[in-house]
Amino acid sequence: MTQLSEAGADLQKRLDRAFNPRTVAVVGDKRAMGYLWLNCMKTFDGKLHSVQVDPNEVPGIEAMGVPNYKSLLEVPDEIDYVVCAVPRPIAPRIIADCVEKKVGAVALFTSGFAETETEDGIAVQEQITQTAREAGLLLIGPNCMGIYNRRLGVRHSTDQPAGDRGNVGFISQSGTHCINFSLVGALRGVKCSKTVSFGNAVILDAPDYIEYLANDPETEVIAMYVEGTKDGHRFFDALRRTARRKPVVVWKGGVTAAGSRAVYSHTASLATAPAIWDAAMRQAGVVQTESLDETIDAVNALVHCKPGTGARMGLIAMTGGQSVVITDAFERAGLEVPLLTAASYEKLSAFFNIIGGSYRNPLDAGGTIGMGFAPGNLQKLLEILEEDENVDAIAMEVGASFIARRLRENPAMLDQMVETLASHEERSGKPFLAIAHPGHVEDVMADIRARLIARGIAVFGSFQAGALALRRVIEYWRGATARN
Amino acid sequence: MSVAEVIDNARSEGRTLLTEVESKQVLHGAGIPVALAILARDAQRAAKAAEEAGFPAVLKVVSPDVAHKSDVGGVRLGLQSKEEVEQAFAEIMVAVKAAQPDARIEGVAVQKMAPAGTEVIIGMSKDPQFGPVMMFGLGGVFVEVLKDVAFRIVPLEPKDAREMVREIKGFAILDGVRGQKPADLVALETLILQVSKFIEAHPEVGELDLNPVLAYLDGAIAVDARIVVS
Repeated sequence: MTQLSEAGADLQKRLDRAFNPRTVAVVGDKRAMGYLWLNCMKTFDGKLHSVQVDPNEVPGIEAMGVPNYKSLLEVPDEIDYVVCAVPRPIAPRIIADCVEKKVGAVALFTSGFAETETEDGIAVQEQITQTAREAGLLLIGPNCMGIYNRRLGVRHSTDQPAGDRGNVGFISQSGTHCINFSLVGALRGVKCSKTVSFGNAVILDAPDYIEYLANDPETEVIAMYVEGTKDGHRFFDALRRTARRKPVVVWKGGVTAAGSRAVYSHTASLATAPAIWDAAMRQAGVVQTESLDETIDAVNALVHCKPGTGARMGLIAMTGGQSVVITDAFERAGLEVPLLTAASYEKLSAFFNIIGGSYRNPLDAGGTIGMGFAPGNLQKLLEILEEDENVDAIAMEVGASFIARRLRENPAMLDQMVETLASHEERSGKPFLAIAHPGHVEDVMADIRARLIARGIAVFGSFQAGALALRRVIEYWRGATARN
Repeated sequence: MSVAEVIDNARSEGRTLLTEVESKQVLHGAGIPVALAILARDAQRAAKAAEEAGFPAVLKVVSPDVAHKSDVGGVRLGLQSKEEVEQAFAEIMVAVKAAQPDARIEGVAVQKMAPAGTEVIIGMSKDPQFGPVMMFGLGGVFVEVLKDVAFRIVPLEPKDAREMVREIKGFAILDGVRGQKPADLVALETLILQVSKFIEAHPEVGELDLNPVLAYLDGAIAVDARIVVS
């Protein structure tokens, strides 16, 4: 483990208090927002307080069973984390109260600062920044959604799951992407440990959160959405150091010229040339992605696939046409689809149904697996690929049309398939990917995906998505192996 | 002169661009392999310098106002004798004055012409976010037309130099393609790392170009160099 400096260790401790609060105060929540923040904190496993001076708002807050105070200073407990949603002109006063109350940290949801590019906005931002900096106050934002801690039920969206543990940290300049990562990720088997939307980053910036999650034992993989950074070299340094300890995925927004214009009005940070950004990320040893889906896919592969550096695929598809395109997809992504060993071919020839099928690799196995559905055959195929020394990783098409038809005939088939894949995943030492395109039966496939995900299997929506995610993850592990 | 002295001297003259002679002096002091050049202010001294450095000789105009020496007729290669050097000196003076009449000319840089090798470029510029960024590419059209370059943030680690050299599309040319001799990749990587260290030690360096660096089967050397201080 990297030894933290004294200042670093102190910040780590203070951020740990904010990310794992025992008391939370929400300042300025109101009916017009549907009491968004208090509703988010309904799942909070700790003491919740409200601060609201408007007499019209107080009854609604008290009806939710949350004690309300006229000022942060009146709250009888110490406060570990504050969410502040007051209008901009009030923000400086609340920040001053946070300082006096010695709160752990404050997330300033309030927006209308430097990102508006107006004199007023910039001036108020400078004012609160100065107050926070002089007092050493941990200020998250402004113009942000703050912290999500799944285990403790500290949320910034009422749709977010709470109560159980996750292992993926997410850091985001944008509140939307932060929330979407946690929500869409949850649907696809990616559970967040802690996330933070950090907005304009006037005090705490991306490198602070990266260092924090790097040292957070609960967080095994770190992903982030960034548009730019105030101190690129510090950011680069934090990434490089962290990627040596755990996988880091970076999704950069505002890569195009017009996109970078949008970045400035969003979070007021400078853009750098794409080629240089790309080189910096490569040098830091992080995985780069270009969308929410790609980010979730890469994290999914990092969390659920066995870490592997080999690029030789064993592929299973259900039909001839799919065998061709799954092979193209993996080859195009930079992976290989080799011939199997003679020993594998000998074993396959004993039972593989070659009428309408073939087994050179890819294995066109619909007939072999599917005639009356023989789960024993699926298991045999997986075992052969597992033992084959020409194969580093296995991907299998869970075909929509194939499955939907068979399921109608034999509902127990799904249970058997899930069992077979889950027990393979448990025993196997090679990365395994299930590829389940929604096809024409989205509801059926959603159910199948959910069942596979529940058993810890990495599921992807298309051949391309699975191939791309695996290639990126292999590159990460290769880099990590070369460095260590 | 030390790096600081060379830079102070340039600044005292109101210059941010170091001359080729100064740039090479500074880099040589940092242990970076450069083809050292001697500043000669007249034809006779140029001839003497060429005799000291050895033939064939190269003459390049030294002027704080000329950015691209060959564009103004300021470069002469393959000079075989003192007489040829003296004549080339005169021709350079005429050509540069004709192309850029207001350019201040300090003289010419004289050096022994390096044997032909694979031309590469090693450079550094500053990015507003990441600070000093190093660039590597093959010389000539590869950099100028095809933009086939690799970047790395300073400071570089050995693995960064290794990957950087191999990342360019034209790597096969360095690696020895179609009977060509391979370039000394270790020498190139070492040179890149030396430049990274030099930049780290001298934050006042705002821009740096070693163009070209000639890579041989054994070794590599920068035959031209340009440093801008900020």
